[in-house]
Amino acid sequence: MEHQRCYIYELPKTEERSPKRQRTNRYNAQAQLPERLQTYRELWAQQEERIQEQDTLEKADSAVQGKIVNFISASSSMPDERKSVIPTGLIVAGPSIASHGPFFERLGRSIKEDAGSAYVVLTSGECPNLKTLLKNLIKKATSRVDDDDEDDLDRPATSSKHGPKLLNYDLGHIQEWNKRNRVSSIVVALQDSEAFDAGLLVDMIDLFHSWLDRLPFVLLFGIATSAESFEDRLSGNSLRYLEGEKFDVTQSDDIIEKLFSATVASTHVRLRIGPNISRRMLDRQKDHVQNTQDFCDGLKYAYMSHFYASYPSLFLKEDIAFKDLSPDAFEAVRNLPSFRQWVEKKLEQGQAQEVRSLLNSNEYMFEQVMLHIKSSQQALSTLSHAAQVLSNTREALQMSPKVRLSSIWTRAASGELSNSPLLRETMLCIKKIPSDKLVLLLAAMQQLEGDYFSMDISLLQKEIDKLLQTNDTNAPLRTQHDVRNDNLRTTVVAQKVLLSKHKAALSEQDKAYSDLVGRFYDKLEAYFDSAFIDPRTLFLSEVLVYDLKSPHTEVFQPKPRFAIERALASPHDYLGCDCCTGVDGNEAALSATQPATAIVYQMYLESGTLINVSDLWSAFNAIAGDGDEENESKTMAIFQRALAELKYLGLVKPSRKKTDHITKIMWKGL
Amino acid sequence: MLPDEIIAQLISEYQCRDQQIHNLAALYSSHLPSPPCLDVYGLTATGKSSILASFFQLSSISHTIINVRECITARHLLERIVAASVDALEEFHDEKLDRRSYARTENLSALCVHLGNLLEGRGKFVLVLDAVDKLREGGGTLIAALARLGETVPNLSLILSTTLPLTPSTLHSSSISFLHFPSYTRSQLLAILGANPPKIFLTPPSLETFPDYTPDLAAEDDAWLWNRFLTTVYDSLSKHTGRDLISFRSCAMKLWRPFVEPVVSGQFGTRDFSRLMVNRRHLFQLEDSVLDRILDPNTASTSSQTATSTASGLPEPATPSKQRQAKMTVHDLPYYTTHLLIAAYLASYNPSRTDVTYFMKHTDKRKNKRRAPSAASFSMSSKRTGSKVRKISRHLLTPSPFPLDRLFAIFRALLVDSVPQVADLYTQIATLTSMRLLVRAGGAGSNDALEMGGKWRVNFGWEYARALGRSVNLEVGEYLVGGVD
Ligand SMILES: Nc1ncnc2c1ncn2[C@@H]1O[C@H](COP(=O)(O)OP(=O)(O)OP(=O)(O)O)[C@@H](O)[C@H]1O
Ligand SMILES: [Mg+2]
Repeated sequence: MEHQRCYIYELPKTEERSPKRQRTNRYNAQAQLPERLQTYRELWAQQEERIQEQDTLEKADSAVQGKIVNFISASSSMPDERKSVIPTGLIVAGPSIASHGPFFERLGRSIKEDAGSAYVVLTSGECPNLKTLLKNLIKKATSRVDDDDEDDLDRPATSSKHGPKLLNYDLGHIQEWNKRNRVSSIVVALQDSEAFDAGLLVDMIDLFHSWLDRLPFVLLFGIATSAESFEDRLSGNSLRYLEGEKFDVTQSDDIIEKLFSATVASTHVRLRIGPNISRRMLDRQKDHVQNTQDFCDGLKYAYMSHFYASYPSLFLKEDIAFKDLSPDAFEAVRNLPSFRQWVEKKLEQGQAQEVRSLLNSNEYMFEQVMLHIKSSQQALSTLSHAAQVLSNTREALQMSPKVRLSSIWTRAASGELSNSPLLRETMLCIKKIPSDKLVLLLAAMQQLEGDYFSMDISLLQKEIDKLLQTNDTNAPLRTQHDVRNDNLRTTVVAQKVLLSKHKAALSEQDKAYSDLVGRFYDKLEAYFDSAFIDPRTLFLSEVLVYDLKSPHTEVFQPKPRFAIERALASPHDYLGCDCCTGVDGNEAALSATQPATAIVYQMYLESGTLINVSDLWSAFNAIAGDGDEENESKTMAIFQRALAELKYLGLVKPSRKKTDHITKIMWKGL
Repeated sequence: MLPDEIIAQLISEYQCRDQQIHNLAALYSSHLPSPPCLDVYGLTATGKSSILASFFQLSSISHTIINVRECITARHLLERIVAASVDALEEFHDEKLDRRSYARTENLSALCVHLGNLLEGRGKFVLVLDAVDKLREGGGTLIAALARLGETVPNLSLILSTTLPLTPSTLHSSSISFLHFPSYTRSQLLAILGANPPKIFLTPPSLETFPDYTPDLAAEDDAWLWNRFLTTVYDSLSKHTGRDLISFRSCAMKLWRPFVEPVVSGQFGTRDFSRLMVNRRHLFQLEDSVLDRILDPNTASTSSQTATSTASGLPEPATPSKQRQAKMTVHDLPYYTTHLLIAAYLASYNPSRTDVTYFMKHTDKRKNKRRAPSAASFSMSSKRTGSKVRKISRHLLTPSPFPLDRLFAIFRALLVDSVPQVADLYTQIATLTSMRLLVRAGGAGSNDALEMGGKWRVNFGWEYARALGRSVNLEVGEYLVGGVD
C-alpha cells in the first residue's frame, strides 16, 4: 500500500438503500442517465466546435502573432554583420496569467511554421537557476533525451570512448544542433518573465549575448504588468544587450465577449445558460479572474449539471421518439412550473378539454412538448438575435455609454429589456436619425437580416437612395424630430419673455424622409417588442435554459475560509444535532456539547490579539468541565487538543512577546 | 606575418593602444620565452578582449581563447579549457590527438595532468582566459590555482584578463606580470570614434540635382560634422554619464540620426554647425539618449511627445522620468484585484496603528480621509524634541511587510459593498505574487505559501498605486498617512 501516493476511497456498496432514501425513491432521479449523457456530449461537442471552429481564441490574437512572427523573421534576416544586440519582443499579455500558457503554445506553432525558427518556452517554475535554465533550454531545443540531473552523471558513461563531451548545460549543444539543422533563429520565450529572478535574467541575457555571434538568439518576454516596469527590473548593462519591440496581446475581456456571442448569444444554440449564471460568470471575469478558459469551463459545467440534474432535459435529444421515453418523463414535465403556468393560461382561455388530454395522454403530451421545444427555441433565438441587432444598432449610432453585447443579452434574457431605458434611448435616437447615419445603420443591419430578423432593409435602402439623389444640398436629410429642425422663438408678452419652439417648415424631401424614418422606426419597434419577451414565461423554459445558481457557485467560487469559520463559530449549522442548538434557544451561547475546538474558537473570537492561555483554559473549563477535580485532566487534554487544532488551522501561533500567551493571526470574516 | 607587420596592422586598427600592442608583441613572440602568467587588466571597453583576439590571430603562436563569461560553473571552465586546447593543438599541428584520454576533467589536478600530457614535447602554448573575474563560481582559490598552472606545465603561458588587477592576496603569490589597459582619455575617445564617421545622407542626394556633391565630398562632410558632434556629445552628456567607449558610442549613435535630420531635410547646410546646434539643442538636454532601453524611445514616444508639446504650447523638454510618470499605464486589472493591490500598498506604507483612524467605518465619511499633518503639528513636535527632525516622505521609504489578514481588512474597508469570502481572492493573491507585484517578505518559511502568519510586501511604487486608484475612482493619497505632495 505504501507505494501509492493517493488512494480512492470507495464506499462499500450496500444492497439495500438507507430507509430515508427509500421513502422518496419513487421517482428515480437517475433515470435514463446514459441517454442524457449522450445528449450532453452531442450538444457540448457542438459548442466546443463553435469555440474552436470560430477559432475565437486564435483569431483574436492572430494579428499580434503575425506581428511577432514578422518581427522574428525580420530580425533573423538582418545582415550578418555581427549583430550586437539580441532582438527582443516584449509581449504584454495582460494580467490573465492562466491564458499565457496557451498563447505561447499557439505562438510557438506559428513561429515554427512561418518563421522557420526553433522555439523554446521556459517558465519560471522550471528555471530556478542558470544551470537548470540552460539544461531545460538545451533539452527542449535539441529534443535531447536526458535521463539524469546528477552532476556526476552529467554525461553518458560511454563518453570515455569519444573524448571530451560537452556538459549538459553547455550551449555548445545547441551550436552543434544548429550546425545540423540550420535554423534562422532560436526563439527563447520566457512565459512569465516577471516571476523569474531578476539576477537570473541578467545572467541569462549576458550569456546569450556573448553567444550571439554563434547562435542567432531571439528573446520573447511574456509580461503581465507593463513593459516599463519590466525594463525597470533589468540592470543597465543587460538592457544594452537587448533591443526590440512591444506587442500588446488582445485583452481577455474582448475574447470573452467573442466567446459569449458565439456560444450563448448565438441563434443556433440548443441549450442556453440563463441570465443569472451568465451574469455570475461575466461578473467573475470582471471582478476576480480574467481567464477565457475559465469561461468555457463554466459553460461546460452548466451543460453537465443541466443534463445530470433534470430528467426532462432528455427532450433536447435530437429526434427523440415517443417509445424512447418512460412515463416518468412526462410526469416530470407536468411538474414543471412553466407547464403549470401554461396550463393555467389555457384554463383561463377555457380550453379545459385540451388540458385534460395533456394531463391524461402521454402521446398528446409528447406532441405538444415537441412542438413547443421548437417554438420556444425559435423565440429564444429571436431574442438572442434581437440583442445582437440592438447591440449593432448602438454601435452604428456610436451611442455612449458603450454597452457590451453580453450585458444586453443578459438583460434581454432576464426579460428586463422591453421598455427599459436602454431600449427607449436607442429608439429615440433612431427617431431623430439624420440620413447619413441611417445609411450606415441600414448597412449594418443588412448583415443581420435573416430568419430571425426580416425587415426588407434593401427596400428601405433603395428608397433612401432615391431621396438622397434628389437632395442637392450637402447637408444630410433630417427628420421632423431632429432638434435642429426646431426654431426657438422669443417673444415678449407683457414684459415676460416667452420661449417657444416652432417647427421649422420642413422641406418636401425632409418630409418624405421623416415619413421613411417613421416607418422604419415602427417596424423596428414592433420587432423589438415581439422579440424581447421574458423567456421564463415560455413553456419548457426549464429545459431550454439552465439557470441554477447552486452547484455553479459552489464549484467555481468556493468559500473555504468562510466554511471553516462558520463550522467553528456555529457548529450547529453543520452538525444539525439537537444538543447544540444552544441554551434557551439562543444559538450563540456556548454549550458543553459543542465540539471542543468550536468552543475554544468562539472564545478566541472574543479576545484580543494576545491571548492568555491560562485564562482561556479557565474559561474553557468553566464551560466544558463538570467541576469535578478528578476529571480536570481529561478536560485539559481536550482543551489542548482543541488548541493544537487551532494552531494547525493557522489561527494562532505562539507569541514571543509574552510568556504563556498566544497570538491571534486570523480574524473572522476576512 | 612578421612581428612588425602585426604591430603595424594592430595599431592601425586600434588607435591609442600602441604601447600595449608593443608590449604584447614583445612578450609573445614565437621564438622568445614568454611569462608563465600575465594579468591583462583595465576597465570595461578598453579593448582587452579585442586586441588579445586580434593579436593572437595574426601571430603564429598556438593558442586558445576562452571567454569565461560563457562558463557556468568551475567544472565547466575546466572542461572547456581542455576541450579547447585539444582543438587548438590539433588544428595548429594538423594532427589527430587521442581524445579519449581527455574525456573528463573533474577538478584542477585533472586539468594539470591533462594539460601536462597535451603539451608534452610541444612548443609554446598560450591559453587566454578572458574576463576570468566574471566566473560565476569558484571564487579566489580557483583563480590562484589557475595562475599557477604555468609553474607545473612548463611550456604553457597563461593570460588572464580582468577588470581590476589581481592582487597578490587572491593569487597567493606575487610572481605574475601585469599589463595595464588604461581607460581612454577624452581626446583618445574622440580620436577612436572619430575615425569612422557614419553617413549624413543614408541615400546619397541624386547626382542630377547635385552633380558636384561627390562621394568624396560627402565623406569629408560626414567626418567634419561627426567630429564636432562627438565633441558636443562628450562634453554635454557622456562626460557625466558614461565615459567608456561603448556608452559613448551608443549615446552618439542614438543622437546622430535626429541630429542630422534638418540637414537631410535640407533645412541647413552640412557645415551649418552652429545653427544646427541651436536648432537641435534639446537633444543634449534630455537624458533619453544615455538611458538604455529595450524599446526604441524614438519610435515609441515621438508621437506622444509631439502631442504633449503641442497641447501645452511650449516645447519644454520634459525629463524622461517625468515623461515616464505620465506614461505609466496601468494594465486593466479586474476590479477586486485592483483594490487588493491598493490595499496592499496602504498596508505596506501605513503604520498599522493608524488603521483605526483611516479605515474604521464612521458615519461621517470625510473623517476617514485625513490629510497630511498640518505644519502646526510638525513644529509642535519639533519643539518638544528640541531638534529639527527632517522627515522623509513615507512613500520614498521601502515598503514594510504586513500580514495577509491586514491586507484583507483594509481591502474590505476600501470597498463600499461587501465581498463574499470566495477563494478567488486567494487566487488573486497568488497571481499577483507570480506577477511580482506582491512579494513574500523574508523570514523563515517565506518560500512556503501555506506557512501561517507569513508576511508580504508590495513591489511597486507610488505612481503605480496612484494610477491603480484612479482607474477605480479612488484617491489613494487620501488614505496614506502623511499624505503625498
Ligand atoms: N582603441 C580602440 N580602437 C577601436 N576600437 C576599440 C578600441 N578599444 C576598444 N575598441 C572597441 O570597443 C569595444 C569593446 O572592446 P573590448 O570588448 O575589447 O573591451 P574589454 O576591455 O574586453 O571590455 P570588458 O572588460 O568589458 O570585457 C570593441 O567593439 C572594440 O572594437
Ligand atoms: Mg572583454
